[in-house]
Amino acid sequence: MPTVVSQETLTAFTPVILQQMPDPFAAASIEEPTLEPTGTHAEHEISRFLALSADIRGCAILEADRVLACSGDPLRWQAAAEALLAAADRATGDQAAHAHVATEDGEAYAMRHGDRAMVAVTDRFTLASLVLADMRATLRALSRVPAREPIATVA
Amino acid sequence: MQKPHRLVLDRVSGYADEAGAYLRRRRLTRKPFARVYAPGGEGVLHPPETESGRALFLAAAGVVDAARD
Repeated sequence: MPTVVSQETLTAFTPVILQQMPDPFAAASIEEPTLEPTGTHAEHEISRFLALSADIRGCAILEADRVLACSGDPLRWQAAAEALLAAADRATGDQAAHAHVATEDGEAYAMRHGDRAMVAVTDRFTLASLVLADMRATLRALSRVPAREPIATVA
Repeated sequence: MQKPHRLVLDRVSGYADEAGAYLRRRRLTRKPFARVYAPGGEGVLHPPETESGRALFLAAAGVVDAARD
């Protein structure tokens, strides 16, 4: 008897469980869902860099002393990143290629590539060579595309 | 700092033990530092006692704060 009841329940409720239901929240927020990427190339590279490691707390990419993209407040990032790059330049006496400052609260990295610069913050004890290699790869990838322009939609 | 031993160990897990011990030593003994690299690849250490080192640490603290937002 219990087995029969179970099978009857299966027949009666399975179609209801598997039924496609409309999502009222999704319909209210966006009329037509899309999977196409949005944002500029710089924002895309920032997202990709942040996704590389859980140890990365934040980063910013600058071009001609202006923030192209960052992971937080652009005004705060711009002032902080400029200060770090300027301090590195003063320490070198010329334009510094890259800098690594390890503090008790975290590790700060700065790197220049052409007319662009990138600043990143990670947790303590990250492998500096890996972080710097990822930053260099990000800046190189960005140099091959128009950083300020939106990503072209895929046909 | 003593680096992990580069020799053949009798157990595979011995390598993991060596690496773990090295990371623990690194965490305990590592002190804050600031290193700046010139375009030629030459790196110069700037101790926090120096003026340039102090400026670098202050600037780095600002960047770390910006990343908190």
